[in-house]
Amino acid sequence: MAWIVKNSAGMKIPRRAEPYLTAALKEQLTREILPRYEQKRGALLPTLHAVQHEWGWLPWQALEEVGAFLDVNPAEVWDTASFYEEFWLQPKGAHVVAVCRSIACEVCDHASITAACKSKLGIEVGQTTDDGKFTLVELECLGLCEGAPACLVDETMHLNATPESITKAIDEARSTQGGHH
Amino acid sequence: MSPTASWTAKTTYPVLTRRIPCWPHGNPKDRHTVWLDEYLRPPANTGAGTLGGYESLRKTITTMTPDEVVEHVKKAVLRGRGGAGFPAGMKWSFLPKPDANGDGGQRYLAINADESEPASFKDRLLMDFDPHSVLEGIAIACYACRIQTAYFYIRGEYHHQAKVMEKAIRECYERGIFGKQGLLQGTRTKNRDQAWGLDVHLHRGAGAYICGEETGLLESIEGKRGWPRNKPPFPAIKGLFARPTIINNVETLAHVPSIMEMGWEWFSKQGCDSTFAGAPASWGTKLMGVSGHVNRPGVYECDLGIPLRVLIESKDYCNGMRNGKKFKGAIAGGISMGVLGPDQMDAEMDFDIGRKYNVLGLGTACPTVFDEDTDMVAVARNIARFYKHESCGQCTPCREGSGWLYQLLTRIESGAAKTKDLDLALEIATSMGTMPGTTICGLADGNNWAVRTIMNKYPQEFEARVKRTFVPVGISVGAGAK
Ligand SMILES: Cc1cc2nc3c(=O)[nH]c(=O)nc-3n(C[C@H](O)[C@H](O)[C@H](O)COP(=O)(O)O)c2cc1C
Ligand code: SF4
Ligand code: FES
Repeated sequence: MAWIVKNSAGMKIPRRAEPYLTAALKEQLTREILPRYEQKRGALLPTLHAVQHEWGWLPWQALEEVGAFLDVNPAEVWDTASFYEEFWLQPKGAHVVAVCRSIACEVCDHASITAACKSKLGIEVGQTTDDGKFTLVELECLGLCEGAPACLVDETMHLNATPESITKAIDEARSTQGGHH
Repeated sequence: MSPTASWTAKTTYPVLTRRIPCWPHGNPKDRHTVWLDEYLRPPANTGAGTLGGYESLRKTITTMTPDEVVEHVKKAVLRGRGGAGFPAGMKWSFLPKPDANGDGGQRYLAINADESEPASFKDRLLMDFDPHSVLEGIAIACYACRIQTAYFYIRGEYHHQAKVMEKAIRECYERGIFGKQGLLQGTRTKNRDQAWGLDVHLHRGAGAYICGEETGLLESIEGKRGWPRNKPPFPAIKGLFARPTIINNVETLAHVPSIMEMGWEWFSKQGCDSTFAGAPASWGTKLMGVSGHVNRPGVYECDLGIPLRVLIESKDYCNGMRNGKKFKGAIAGGISMGVLGPDQMDAEMDFDIGRKYNVLGLGTACPTVFDEDTDMVAVARNIARFYKHESCGQCTPCREGSGWLYQLLTRIESGAAKTKDLDLALEIATSMGTMPGTTICGLADGNNWAVRTIMNKYPQEFEARVKRTFVPVGISVGAGAK
């Protein structure tokens, strides 16, 4: 539902002194990514991915910096970033648990998986735990349908999930560093 | 005897999956990613040739001109495996002559690895385990179409697959298979005795189904929201960065190396011919990803034309319905294609399926199978929710219609709806899509077909869920009567 636009007039933009798009990132992008596209803007998605990978989400200030780096108006950076579900414009948990809710998974009881995640984490779908460790989302088909019900914990695929297996996967993720992706 | 009982596989060996163990030729437990060193070793000749290892690419570029390659693929009637089934060779031949636009012949290939259509997961198999077979196909396609830059557009959720493809591409650069020096360390091609340089870049999407639509995909590579473009102009004339562009599915391209090695006549002996006069054939094998209520869900490589019943019941494939339940229906191949009803289990999985069984088409050939306990109203509601969520919002019928349909179906599922809501839902569904000509892209057609075929094929389930309303029936007589 990317077409629903919020009124952002008067919005306060939190700022900090050090940039999100660091000199090291810029150097790497300039060397590896920019030459791949005949127009600079082509590098927008890869750049947003890189910044999100570094910080876990895309603060407004980061979007401005990306705009300046690629000669794209910040409003257009926002326009693009807000269209894609995987770009986080608000902070998310260090780990993301994504349960598939599409057809193959629904008919193979994805509901039990979502319920197990909710009770394990003590949050609803779309929320982040108070300690900032986990965000729970439901996504459309993850392309893992032969293993329905399926989910992703950070970047790891879990096929034929059961309430027990997903609870265990969450425990395992808790003991690892956050996977910014 | 039912037509199904007499069906036998024509292709008794794996082609696309010859390095990927799949039933009935191998055990999926034995799968591993085939990296370049292994890919370069000649495969055993099971029937699909012995070249492999970029030798098919070498043979192609040293013995054929680009036009000859296009002609060859055209003869093979290699129909697109991404959904629409458009013949790849024909698509390639629509490119303008190089430099016709005075742009130095700059043009692009975009590989569609977005695979976000619910129930589809077959391209992932190739990316997971045999990335080089896809890359070899890409290289041949680029030579044939005189393309020097290709973008591999992979959906954002495929984290692992993106890493595999990235590493495989890096391997190709390191060994000089890709790069500015020319394919295969600068091998002289038959075309004007020059090398042909090629760059392949990975481009990750970020979670938007609509970027699988070919022009939405191009917008996304350009760094914009994935809004499909109005056509014409078609991408072959004006595509990525306004240059001529070819978009092909991963599986389509993976077929190319073996077609070049074994010849189009070999390819034509697999799959089946069309039963409609003058219609293009359904040659070749196809990856079919079966999910849902079967004993052994997974990807199988089958001849096009295999009856769904064989795919589900045969011990070689899914080995029957789970828990011995009865078949109630199946998504024809990705939810946009609609649903095959309880009496359509004998449907042949080929490109004629749309004309014969009242579904939109073969799509990705990935059926989700439903058993007798499945609530088809819930299925329709789930599907409607998907389209509401994924509509890009450009066209009013799709943006609004998908929301209305979801609301209506939610109401029907909850038991709060009335009979007339069923008619309303059907009317909304029928009025959206490129086929009634009200939208830019085919997402709305998918919504239309999915909801409509479920409602039409399981009317009792919907009627049982709603409260009866008695509406006055208008009777027209005379000239206005139908
Ligand atoms: C809404 C929509 C989504 C699509 N998603 C995909 C997709 O995820 N993968 C794909 O290969 N084709 C997808 N297609 C089909 C492409 O537009 C296009 O036909 C295909 O990539 C062409 O490749 P092919 O000729 O090799 O099949 C989609 C089409 C529509 C209308
Ligand atoms: S049909 Fe739907 S998804 Fe396609 S362009 Fe229109 S609004 Fe977007
Ligand atoms: S429907 Fe859940 S992974 Fe495809």
